[in-house]
Amino acid sequence: MARVLKNRFSINFVGKTTILLLLSVVFFFAPTDASAQRRFSKSYPATRNVRLNLLNRSGTVTVEGWNRAEVQIQAYMETPAAAINPQIIDGTIIINMVKENFGRGEVGNVNFTIRVPFEAKVDIETKIGNLNVSSVRGALVRAKISSDGDITLTNINAQMVSAENGIGNIFFDGDIQSGGTYRFTSISGDINLRVPFNSSFKLIATAPSTRSINLGSFSTANMRILGDGRRVAGQVGDGSSSLLVTNQRGSIAFIRR
Amino acid sequence: MNCIECQENISPYLDGELDELQAADMRVHLSICAGCAKICEDFSVILDTCRENVPSEIIPPNSQALWCRINNLIESEIKPDLIVEEPVKRGFFSRGWNLTFSQAGAGVLAIALISSLLTVVGIRNYFEPSREDFTSRSAASQTTFEKFLSKIGLTDTPQQAREKRVKEQQAAIAYWTNRVQERRGQWDAKIRDAFDRNLNLLDESVSEYTIILQENPDDDLTGEMLDTVLTDKMDLLREFSDL
Repeated sequence: MARVLKNRFSINFVGKTTILLLLSVVFFFAPTDASAQRRFSKSYPATRNVRLNLLNRSGTVTVEGWNRAEVQIQAYMETPAAAINPQIIDGTIIINMVKENFGRGEVGNVNFTIRVPFEAKVDIETKIGNLNVSSVRGALVRAKISSDGDITLTNINAQMVSAENGIGNIFFDGDIQSGGTYRFTSISGDINLRVPFNSSFKLIATAPSTRSINLGSFSTANMRILGDGRRVAGQVGDGSSSLLVTNQRGSIAFIRR
Repeated sequence: MNCIECQENISPYLDGELDELQAADMRVHLSICAGCAKICEDFSVILDTCRENVPSEIIPPNSQALWCRINNLIESEIKPDLIVEEPVKRGFFSRGWNLTFSQAGAGVLAIALISSLLTVVGIRNYFEPSREDFTSRSAASQTTFEKFLSKIGLTDTPQQAREKRVKEQQAAIAYWTNRVQERRGQWDAKIRDAFDRNLNLLDESVSEYTIILQENPDDDLTGEMLDTVLTDKMDLLREFSDL
């Protein structure tokens, strides 16, 4: 009897140990978010008005202004990890993830966090993914998404701003400078623009599908509604800058800051 | 970068001959300047059409040598100029005006043509429509003179111009669609899905605007939007063709 019990115990013990071992092997090799990412980090001394040119394939790009004459690039690469090789040409930092990874087939997302001097010019583009730019007051801010993704531009004070995406929302919170050019275009999504109440601009806002153009407190007598409400054109203040907003299948709204 | 520099660089930009920095400058300028973007787009359409329509005639193996031979033949057939003694000048009024009837007629016609051209330029400048809304030209914004010119067939009506442009854009779209088809096999599922989603949305917009324009060809805003979505479609295809 004791022998039978001992045999049963040993069988159970061996079985459980094997299962535990197998499970630990499985968990050990199972990919987690942290272990699947590769990290790239590099800092470059830069002039205050340095220019950043980034062309990403897929992933989120966040650019933040900071009070240092330095550009810090951090990239988190999901597997299969993309190749990355930033270059500095004539004071411009260039990162071209499309060219670097051409013909590689499947390449994982690359999520960038880049810090640039406040006065930097920012020109970022991606095929898929969100683009965020904050606290930049250089001459230019350009953000373009070829397909899906949201664009968020906050605390921007630039003379040329361009935001363009396919499916996704666009949010702009910043100043409208005299003599500036501001262009926001989307295929489908909502465009929300938060600008100071004393801004002056010439506006052409077109939302042909939804006809949802809400000017809020910028609705003045100088505005004309055209094409049965599909377009609003006119002038706010002395019209010293130009603002062009087109949303094929979404709404356009102005919010007073 | 200003418009002049941009327009000088359009050709090398489309051929991929600019360095990264110049190309980036171009992209920025094209994204904020509608005029240059339009020129670039037109240029791109022309290039795409040229790439598609490979010439059927065969170029001779040594075309330069052939041209030299033709040139020599032409030169050998030109007779040396005869030295003619200049007649003694007899003053402007006393000079003989030996004009034939056809020569006189041609002269009158030339004068009439020049003066009418000058009138056209003058009137055109005088009646140039205001561009304060910086919107595209439409039937409504056509001057009476432009309407007259289009009626007598000297210029295209806005509808004809639009149809022509749509045809060009469709040709470019067909070219880029082929390029995308070649690359598509290498994309992962996420990229494929995003591309298809955006393309379908653009196609829906194209069909909606086309239907509206069939019902109301004078709806210029829809015409403008159709132009925009076709350009967006071309851009989407072009941007995904390099993945």
